[in-house]
Amino acid sequence: MSESRIDGYARGLFEIARAEGTIDEVEDELFRFARSYESSDALRNALTDEMIPSDKRQAIVENLLGGKATSTTTQLVSMVVGSGRGRDLPAIIDKLVERASNSKDLEVAEVRSAVALTDDQQDRLKAALANATGKAVNLKVIVDPSVLGGIVATVGDTVIDGSVRTRVDQLKSRL
Amino acid sequence: MNLLANIIFVMAEEGPHLDDNGQIVTHHWLLPERSELIYGTISSIIIFALLFKFAGPAIVKGFNGRSERIRAELDGAATAPAEAIAEADSIRTAKGDIDAERQRLFAEADAQAESLLVEGRARLEQEVTELEQRATAELAAASTRVGDELRAEIARIAAEATENVVRGGLDGDTQQSLIESFISTVGAS
Repeated sequence: MSESRIDGYARGLFEIARAEGTIDEVEDELFRFARSYESSDALRNALTDEMIPSDKRQAIVENLLGGKATSTTTQLVSMVVGSGRGRDLPAIIDKLVERASNSKDLEVAEVRSAVALTDDQQDRLKAALANATGKAVNLKVIVDPSVLGGIVATVGDTVIDGSVRTRVDQLKSRL
Repeated sequence: MNLLANIIFVMAEEGPHLDDNGQIVTHHWLLPERSELIYGTISSIIIFALLFKFAGPAIVKGFNGRSERIRAELDGAATAPAEAIAEADSIRTAKGDIDAERQRLFAEADAQAESLLVEGRARLEQEVTELEQRATAELAAASTRVGDELRAEIARIAAEATENVVRGGLDGDTQQSLIESFISTVGAS
């Protein structure tokens, strides 16, 4: 899909969520869904398989998110998948998150950690990243076991890597 | 005329005659009668004259041709030894040339054989040298490759072991410690 079309979908989803007054919640749920989508081959295949009718794919989304996310989030994902744009879902959602953050003068900070962070840790990390980058950040935490330990934070083009995975990889390279 | 008359007369007088029994009687049992002698002589003269006049030139011509042919054959026979000698000389020369050619061919063949031998020996020596060099290089490459593979395998095992050790050491407290350390480090920067 072209960049302009992705941007158009992101803008549309963003405007719907803002109109519903649930932009913060929807943005967060969509971000987490996008990461789950990226990490699961089965989910990705199910939602992008052209052989599966669109209503079946939408039913999968509704079964998956129903009761765990807001109805707005579920409807928005269902709409994108039903229109045959499931393959571009992560890019659309990332654009939406970026747009939502920019609307609040925030920079998206994607944080990957092997274990979940407490609220306190998230607040302190948000403050630390803001201090380090000089920008207020919209923190998005992803639990990623491949990190092994520590944290990898990406703010715009800046990557702050304190993960055990990277140190192990460096050690492997030296070996 | 007198001669002819005399001849006729003699013929009439001396010819054979019949005896009393009616048998022809000649004057001699062997010699012809005079008239027969005369007739025969005249006939012979006439025949010889005719022969001399009409057949003589052809006979002379035939004899002359035969003489010429014999002379030519004699001349040819006289030149034949010289030609035979020349032919023999030519054959001897050719034989000499053949001997020389044979000697030259033998010498050339010997030279070529020697050249081939030298070239073959040189080529073999070069091939042996190249084979030795290649074998040495392959041995060195194999040694290096085996060493590299061994090092890679050791590194892989060491890396896996390292990761396993690290994973085993990452308990909850360590995870929290790493997170806190990261936050502190980033916040202090």
